[in-house]
Order: sequence, then structure tokens, then C-alpha cells
Amino acid sequence: MDALEPQAAKRRKKQAGPTNWRAILFLMPSWVLLLIFFFVPTILTFYFAFTNMSLTGINAAQSQFIGFTNFVNMFDDPNFRNSVVKTVIFLIFSAVIGQQVMGFLIAILMNGRNSGFRSVIGSIVIAGWVTPEIVCAFVWFAFLNDSGTLNTVIEALGLKPVAWLYTFPMVSVIVANIWRGTAFSMMVFQSALGDVPREVEESAMMDGASGFQKLVRITIPMILPSVLTNMILITLQTLGTFTLIYALTGGGPGNSTEILPIYMYRQAFVNYQLGYGTAISLSLLVIGIVASLIYMRVLKVKI
Amino acid sequence: MGNKSKWLGTMIVALSVVVSACGGNSATPGETGAGNTGGAGEQATKTIKVAYGKWNEADRWGEWLKGVKEEFEAANKGVKVELQAIEGSQYATKIPLLMMDERTAPEVLAEDSFMINADSEAGYLEELNVASWDDWKNFNEGIKAAVTANDKVYGVPFSTDVRGLYYNKQLFQQAGLPVPWQPKSWNDILDAARTIKEKQPDIIPFWMNTGTAGQEATTMQTFQMLLYGTQDQMYEDGKWVVKSKGLLDTLNFIHDIYSNDLGPKLSQVLTAQAGQVLETDLMPNQKVAIVLNGNWLTGNWGESGGKPWPEALDVYDFVKMPTQNGEAPGFTSMSGGWTLAVAKKSAEKELGFEFIKMAINEKNNKKFAILDGALTPRTDVAKDSEYTGQKGTLYGVAADFITYTHVRPANAEYPSVTSVAQEIVEKVATGALTPEAAMNEYAKNVERTVGADRIVSKQ
Amino acid sequence: MAQGGNTVKSQAWKPKKLNRFMIYRTLPYIILSLIGLLFLIPLLWLLIASVDGGATLSMKLPETITADNYISTLSSESNQRSFVNGLILAVGQALLVIIVSGLASYPLSRYQLRYKRSFMYLILFSTGLPITAVMVPVYQFFLYFQLQDSLFFTVLFLTASALPYAIWMMKNFMDSVPIELEEAAWVDGASVLTTLRLIIVPLMLPGIFTIGIYAFAGSWGNFLVPFILLQSPDKLPAAVSIYQYFGQNGVVQYGKLAAFSVVYSIPAVVLYIIGQRHMSKGFSFGGASKG
Repeated sequence: MDALEPQAAKRRKKQAGPTNWRAILFLMPSWVLLLIFFFVPTILTFYFAFTNMSLTGINAAQSQFIGFTNFVNMFDDPNFRNSVVKTVIFLIFSAVIGQQVMGFLIAILMNGRNSGFRSVIGSIVIAGWVTPEIVCAFVWFAFLNDSGTLNTVIEALGLKPVAWLYTFPMVSVIVANIWRGTAFSMMVFQSALGDVPREVEESAMMDGASGFQKLVRITIPMILPSVLTNMILITLQTLGTFTLIYALTGGGPGNSTEILPIYMYRQAFVNYQLGYGTAISLSLLVIGIVASLIYMRVLKVKI
Repeated sequence: MGNKSKWLGTMIVALSVVVSACGGNSATPGETGAGNTGGAGEQATKTIKVAYGKWNEADRWGEWLKGVKEEFEAANKGVKVELQAIEGSQYATKIPLLMMDERTAPEVLAEDSFMINADSEAGYLEELNVASWDDWKNFNEGIKAAVTANDKVYGVPFSTDVRGLYYNKQLFQQAGLPVPWQPKSWNDILDAARTIKEKQPDIIPFWMNTGTAGQEATTMQTFQMLLYGTQDQMYEDGKWVVKSKGLLDTLNFIHDIYSNDLGPKLSQVLTAQAGQVLETDLMPNQKVAIVLNGNWLTGNWGESGGKPWPEALDVYDFVKMPTQNGEAPGFTSMSGGWTLAVAKKSAEKELGFEFIKMAINEKNNKKFAILDGALTPRTDVAKDSEYTGQKGTLYGVAADFITYTHVRPANAEYPSVTSVAQEIVEKVATGALTPEAAMNEYAKNVERTVGADRIVSKQ
Repeated sequence: MAQGGNTVKSQAWKPKKLNRFMIYRTLPYIILSLIGLLFLIPLLWLLIASVDGGATLSMKLPETITADNYISTLSSESNQRSFVNGLILAVGQALLVIIVSGLASYPLSRYQLRYKRSFMYLILFSTGLPITAVMVPVYQFFLYFQLQDSLFFTVLFLTASALPYAIWMMKNFMDSVPIELEEAAWVDGASVLTTLRLIIVPLMLPGIFTIGIYAFAGSWGNFLVPFILLQSPDKLPAAVSIYQYFGQNGVVQYGKLAAFSVVYSIPAVVLYIIGQRHMSKGFSFGGASKG
């Protein structure tokens, strides 16, 4: 049975008449909104990737259809290849591992604790998430720069300060992104854990399962659908991270933190090569899809 | 609980929708570019839109333009001026979007002189008839070149800037260096830096923008300040010069500074906020002896700046950057600059130009320059003692720099080429490439970006 | 046979077990406090800089503690307006998202529909396209239909962008509400809408709040969309006007920026605290089905 559909066997089969009509009615608003404001622009975007459209210069006046030229250039470009690698590293460590583990840890520890305490801790974690991305970048710059908070503390402990942003740029942006994004995973897991029926847990405990066994054998499988959803969602979100890194390291030093969104922005809005930039963003899409398919395989969950 | 909050929710949604729909409806045809409610023969109200960048809370440009708006509306009955402020740091992205369609194209817009070539090619800008404008003769000739493309003028400059060398008088005196100081060659600079390093080991001898994160700040304040002081250029006779003696010497200078520890720590200068750190920390705390940068730094230290510091100009002096070996004309500088232009797709273009003429006439430009702390492109204002005598600014000094200044090659390929320049500056500084290897990489990457027929090599 | 160190049954426990038990009880609190501290430290700069007259990017004790930054930020009319704009966009969008995705997820969760799988995949994957790429076509699209510079249509666009995630999450949450409860209600004569309102929604409250906060925070902090789709300066939300503190040539006013950010973060934090009460373990179906 699909882990995602505990009710699957009980799903109603009869679809005749009014039931169908209801389904259509309920789905209508979504369909309309998505069609107009989402799918149509997306298709236009796909089209741009095959042109040499630019925001200014002669190609702004008349852009031409250039077929796969953008894509050929893309694969030829060593900067592009570097970007892909950096993006995957960033994705794995900051989202798949970092935010998920952290979010899960917090959610499970908070389960059943004192409500006031939960609010305090939760709010602190959320503060990172709701702070505007540009401010996050400044907050972390203030924390990690040569005379920043972290080095001040390190010096106070008598150790040598480190130029974090220069020597460990990737680690720096990964940590900053974990700080920023954990709240989302935390909330998803909180709700998911809240849905786990108490009786299931109680009966497991009565059967003699230890805390850890209970976790692995019972709780996690029950929330697996949420785990999958969460992984896909934060993957797609993380793939779009831009402002945080751009303002923190600028993609540097060199291009050591130039993940695809930054590289794409440079091409589309700094060099004004909109067509090329759009082609690059399509590769982001591909990475997102591939990653999601991998998750579904590994977790053995289907929709 | 379910009932009440559902209804509450519905009410809030309804309210939000109604409020925003009202907000939406106020975007009447009159506000979109093409809609002037003039009918044939009636006393029509014409509206012109003026788009500009709002750089901070003080919104100096807005203040200036509001004054012009009042004057213009009084002088032209039946004309309304609508000011459209755009967040400054995002201005460059937004303005082409506005110009590309007649529904949003503004009659007057602030245009970075550097974008004029590309934007005119894109069909965004209207050619301005300056030949019949008497006042045009009062604008600095050197800067006029920056606003002309294919012999047509597309913008009227209202502010400009220059770059040069700041040096710390106290640190120089303590190190036994001459004050006042005016280096006549690159070697003079290197010598001074070495002396500082010897006598004042805790001080950064020489700072120049070096990181790719700095973008144009690196290209203009470092790469071009050096290259244009040599006998070679970045762009000549319609082609990009990818290899030249001047380029190699430029890269060697950068190498000399960093390999001899005469520059800042790499971890300081390569970050995205390096400029911030320099302007609000290192200079006010006098940790750096020589800085190659632009005249606007003083804006940081004024009352409304990020780090008010009234003694700034008692401590730091601003002098011209010499050419490589003192060759004629002896000094060099780089200028950017802002102009007011007319969007080609806008409706009331003649009125737009009239607005511009008023906004940048002698009286209004002087007011603006004093207000904003900008360098004026007008020769008459530049001589005005009220302007040059302002405390805490560098006008009296900097106006002289304009004589020696250069502007960037303003063609559509520039944005790609400048990124390559920034990369090699950084790689030479970090030691990742030798100057020769860096020049080779420059040639290779520029060729890959603009094509083999757009480059020329002089070595 | 009760095993497991934390099963407290007999009175005759040895001190060793007592200690272990108490450690198990307090350990989560200790760990959480540590985590909370780690998350809080970077924010300290923000809080301190907001009351610092001469704030810079370094962490230092302010020479002058001042409320000026807050005063100038809050008293500025254009700031107040931008906050209101931001609230309109965010609240309007969040509520619209909840309602629309809630409706949509019902058939997706309860019915077997033919193209369900492809629909779900399609909407999810299309969000992989970064919004920076889509904005220019969207802008041109808006221009063509004269939809630009309208808060209303911007809300619609933001809603549409959040719908894919929202529908996915809603459907997930709805899946875990047992059908038996609905069927019991139908037996009692309730209509589908009533069932939705009185049974499903209350049980999904944690999920609804998660989605609501997600949608709210998403548009509250969204800079690019309003920046591109709105022209009139007095319609721009706070996420855009925060850039006013960034100055020309990058001269930043840190103190004011920090003050603005602190005030800016408050609505979302408040929303979270309110939602906290509904998001914890406390909703189990045990109660409902026994009743």
C-alpha cells in the first residue's frame, strides 16, 4: 500500500453525477489561477530560452530565435559547469541534510514540551526564516566577517580568529542557509508529528519499544509522506536561493559560491542576456526534477 | 471556533480584496504612459512621468526634481508632472522594463551615461535636439562624449564623478613621507607604499578594489584607473584590445602590490561588503594609508552618511592618479555620470525635453549639486565659489580631475567584458595566475564572449 | 513486563534510575535551549545595531544608545504605507491561498481522478523554475492586459505562485484525516461543505497554519514580484522599500536598516506564536472517534 495514501483502499470509487461536478467546482479556482498566472508565463519563459533576447542593446529591439545556441554555449562554459557543482553541494548540505535534520530534531524534541517554552524556542528559529533575505545576509556578514561577532567570541576565548567568508565560503553560506531555512522544516514536522495518533505510540511503548526504536520503526514511517514532501519543497526552494549568497559573498571569492541562481542573475540582469539567463534557469529546473525523482525512489513513496 | 474564524477569515479576505482592487483601480489610464486625456481641441491636461532612482531615505534626487516639478507646472499651465521614484539599488533592472513598452515608458528618466549606447541601440531613447539648445555649450566637452552615440546625443548629464588617490596625511608624516603628496608615476606610489609598510607595519599601505564581488567598482576604480594611465586602451577602433603592454603592466602593478604585502588582506578586500568595511571602518579608524577610489566616499562621512566623520578631509587628502611613468597628460581619471533622457516610447517627448532643459539649467543644477554632493558637469557651476567652497566635499579639488578623465567603452558587449576584467584582477591578486597567464586568460575569455572578429591583440 | 528506562511504575526505584529519568526529562529542554541560543546569537547584531547611533557591520557595543532609528523608521509616512501595502499583499494572499488550496485538495485527497498524478507532478515541478526567470515574461504578460501597477492582480499572481506548494501540503495534511469521520458525519445528514468546515478543517488546523504562515512569510518577504509588477511608489510594500537604506554606491545606514528589519519581522513572528497553540501534539483522532 502506498505510504502516502493510508486511505487509498477506502477511496470512493463511484464518480458519477454530482460528485464529479463537485470535484470540478472545487478544482476550478486553482486551475484558473494557475493557468493564467503560472503556466502561461512559464511557457513564455521556455520560449525565451531559445532566443537571444536581451534587456537592452540591439537584441532588445528585435530578438531572434536562435534554437539551441544558448544551450550549446551553456555546456561549453566552464563557469556554468562550476555553478552546477556548487549548486549540488549547496543543495545537499544545506537543504537535504542540514535543514531537514535540524528541523526534525527540533520538532521531535519539542513534541509534548511546555507550551510557553516551545513558543520561545520556536519564535527564535522562526525569526531566522521571516527576516528578509537581504537582512539575513547582513546579519551573517556581521557574524562571520573578520571583525564580526564570531571572531570576537573566538578571540575572547584566546583562539586565533579565522577569515570565515574568505577561507570557508561554502561552509559559511551553507550554515547561513540552514539557519534561515530550518524553521520551515520544523513547522512541517511539527504538524506531521502532531498527526501521529497517540494510541499508536502508546501501544508501541507498551510493547516494550525503546525511545529510539519507537522513533525509527513507528514515527518516521508514519510521517514519511511529510518527509518526502518537505524534501522536495525545500529542494526547490533552496535551488532558488539568491539574495542570501549574493549579498554575503557575491558568489565568491572567485566563483567558489556562485551557485546557479547567482550565475543566472549575472547573465540575465547584469549582462542583460535574458535569453541565455533563461536557458540557465531551465537547467535549475532539471536539477530540481531529477532530485525529486531521486527522493521518491529512495523513500519508496509515490503520490 | 470553526464558524467564527471562518467568517472572520472571509471578511478579511473580502476586505483585502476590496482594498487592493481599489488600489488597482487607481491605476487609471492617466497614469499609464500612453494615456494623456487630451482630446481634440479641449483644454487638455497633459501628464509627463519622470522616473529616477531613490538612493536613500533622504531622496536627494526626489527633492531636486520636486523643485523642478513645481517650477515647470507653474510655467506650463495644463501640464502635470508625475514623479516616479524607484529603489536605487534596483534601478538598473527596472528602467529597461519601463522603457520597453509605451504603457509604462516615462517621458523623463535618469539614465546612467554608461547605458546610453546600449539603450539607444535597443530603441529605448529619443535623440535630443541639442543643436538648437543654447545652454548646451555650458557643459563640459569631455563628458559630452559619454552621452553621444553615433553622433547623436541621447542624454543631458546632471552629475558626474571622478577617481583618484586618497592618502592619510598623518600616517604619511609619521612615516617621513612628503605632505602634500602628489605622485607622478606608479613607482612613486609603490615607493610610498613600501615606506609605509616599513615604518608602519600595522597599517594597510595601499587599498584598491580587487574582488569580482565589487563588480564595476573593481573595473573602474582599479583596472581602468591603471590601464588608462598607460599608452593602451581597453577598446580601440571598434575592437576590444585583449593583449597589450599596458594591460600586462597593469596586471604587474596589481601583482607587485599584493605579492609584496602592500595591499589589504585578501579576506578583507574580496568580500561583497569590502567597500562598506573600507568606508565605515578602515578609513575613519585610519588603518589605511593610500586608497584608490572615487570622490563620493566623502558622502559616507557627512551628517546624513553612514558614518558621520567631520574631520575626514583634514585627515585624508585627494589627489590625482598619475599616468604610468608620468607621460602626458600626466594624470588620469575615470568618470561615470548620470543624465536625464527621454524614452522613445513615451507620449509627450517634447515636453519631456523641456523639463530636462529646466532641470539642468545653471540655477537648478547648482542647487542639485550642492544638495546631493555631486560633481557638476556644467562648466559654469564648476567655477561657482558657492559650489566649490562647500565643507566636507571635494569639489574644488575634483573639478580639476575632469580634464584628465576617461569614460568606459559604452557598447552592449561591455557588461560581459568587464566581468572578465574583474576575474583576472582577482586572480592576479590572489596569486592564482601570473600576470602573463592572466592576460592570456583575459584574451581567451573575451574572445569566447564577443567572438574572434571583435578582438585585437597588440602583443 | 515493562522494560525501557523511562517506564515509571514501582515506588522502589534506586537513585540511579531517578537521575536517569530526570535527565531524560530535562535533556530535551537543555538541547533545545542550546539550539535556541545558537539561532539567537547571529541576531544579536541586529538587535544591538538597531539601537546604535553609529552602527556598522562589526559587532560592537554602541557608543550611543538611541531610539532614533526606530523613531525615524516608524514615523516615516512612506514606511507606514509600505507596511500596510505589505500586509495587504501578504494577508490577502495567505487567505486566498488557504481557501483555494483547501478547496482544491479535497477532490485531490478524497477522489480518484484520472490525471491526478500528472497534475500533482506538473504543478510541483514547475515551481523549480526560479522566479527571476519568469518575471520578465510575466511583466510583459501583465503589460499586455494592462494588469500592471495593481495590488489586486499582484495578489493573484502571488497566490498562483504559492498554490503548487500549498496544494501539495494541503493534500498531505488532508490525507491524514480519516475518511471514517466524514462518513460518520454524512450518515448524520451533513453536506460535504459542512463536513469540510466542521470536521476536516479543525483537524487540519496545524497544517492550515503551516501553509498560512508559509504563504504569508513568502509574500511578506517577497521583493521581486511587487518590484516588477507595481509602479506607483505608494503601492510598494515594505520588502521593496527596505532597499531605501542601501544608498548610492552602497552606502548603507545600518542602524536604520536594523530597526526597520526588527519591526519588519514582527508580524510573521506574531503569526507564528498564535499558530503555535494549534500546531502542537494535542490533536489526536483518539478523542474524535471515541466520541
